[in-house]
Amino acid sequence: MRLPHSPTRRALLLAALLSPVLTAGPAMAANVAESFVDENIRKGLDILRDRKLTTVQRRDQFETLLLGLVDVRRIGLFTLGQYRRTAPPEDIEAFINAFKNYATAAYQSYFAKYTNQTLKVTGSTQRTPTDFIVQTLLIDPNSSQQPSEVDFRVRTDTGKPVLVDVAYQGIWLSLEERDQFVAFLGQNNGNVRTLIAHLSELAVNLGKPTQ
Amino acid sequence: MRGVRGLFLGLVALALAGCATAPASPEALAANDPYEQTNRDMLKFNGKIDKYFVIPTVGIYFVLVPEGGRRGVHNFLGNLSLPTIFVNDMLQGELSRAGKSMWRLVINTTVGLGGFFDPASKIGVPGHGEDFGQTLAVWGVDDGPYLVLPFFGPSNPRDAAGLAVDAAMDPTNQIPFKQHIWWSAGREYFTLLDLRAQTYQAIQGIQRGSVDYYSSLRSLYRQLRNEQIRNGRKQGQDLPDF
Repeated sequence: MRLPHSPTRRALLLAALLSPVLTAGPAMAANVAESFVDENIRKGLDILRDRKLTTVQRRDQFETLLLGLVDVRRIGLFTLGQYRRTAPPEDIEAFINAFKNYATAAYQSYFAKYTNQTLKVTGSTQRTPTDFIVQTLLIDPNSSQQPSEVDFRVRTDTGKPVLVDVAYQGIWLSLEERDQFVAFLGQNNGNVRTLIAHLSELAVNLGKPTQ
Repeated sequence: MRGVRGLFLGLVALALAGCATAPASPEALAANDPYEQTNRDMLKFNGKIDKYFVIPTVGIYFVLVPEGGRRGVHNFLGNLSLPTIFVNDMLQGELSRAGKSMWRLVINTTVGLGGFFDPASKIGVPGHGEDFGQTLAVWGVDDGPYLVLPFFGPSNPRDAAGLAVDAAMDPTNQIPFKQHIWWSAGREYFTLLDLRAQTYQAIQGIQRGSVDYYSSLRSLYRQLRNEQIRNGRKQGQDLPDF
């Protein structure tokens, strides 16, 4: 077992999914997935380190980069679990949109807290010909603790690599979101519109400063 | 300590007695959480204890004890757990990790002045955790239904049993001395304080951004425990296709 020094950093998980930022270590791009993660870490870092950008410009550029890397639709559909099959198509579309806004708000709430953490690609595992787990280490220069493991799940079945999940110390974000959403829908008669309203409310709250 | 554990087990029994009357929804059964309603009530109870008793003292702890002191307390508590970790390493057949636990105990107890400092990590012997709940898992015992224990939070029957066994095998609980109850209570209290001080921001983040805080904790707990049981090994990760 790992030391539970940072047990459940959901905010970090969310941010990590949307932000393979941070620094690239010595690149050992053994496959397309590793190259993809490594390359985009560098791009993200370039944006974060560009002192000519204002905070808003930096945040917006970074967000654009991230949304281009993450398959939000695929993740959103996954998080609906069995309710994906029964929800009306128009509700599904509205949900994907609400999910994207929620994830973006979560990312933005983290962005302001970024304090020079770095990510270093350390290897990868190929689960199927189009399914990879890329392993990285999250190094926090402001902490004396051991680096944390952050894994990225990359799928290549659509012709280009896309991020579909991220794990912080073995805890996968999309799985956690699916468990939450399915539980919420179970308590609300499977009504996806209720979930959409709740996600929208959360996105607004995440945009407010913490107390 | 035994008194504290006895009270805890009594509360668990009460909680489980309450579970027996609550009908489980199909979703709860599908999530292996047949006592969901009782668990949710227990989470609310723990939240009140946290809000009114734990958090205020965490604030005082931060004000009175500087970061170096808090780190020393964290190291000391971790050092006290090393004999239990060592035994569980051995019971799981993890001889290399058992050796590291023993080295950490020797180095940190001596050079680290009773465990307040962690020179072992600096010379390349980092810490790891282990407990009897994990040992049972390695031996093939299923986790059972999800439980939220009073004061202790997310768990399951296997991990709750592990908690009791770990307490029973802890060497400091075997030393008879007059003020044992104060030592035990103090240790439990500072363990809670240390854990809460470290997780304050993370838990606040989960509460703020969760669609359903209860099921978020349930998922995080299960995933974390599975990761701990695998000792971080990537093989055997059961991931869905999507």
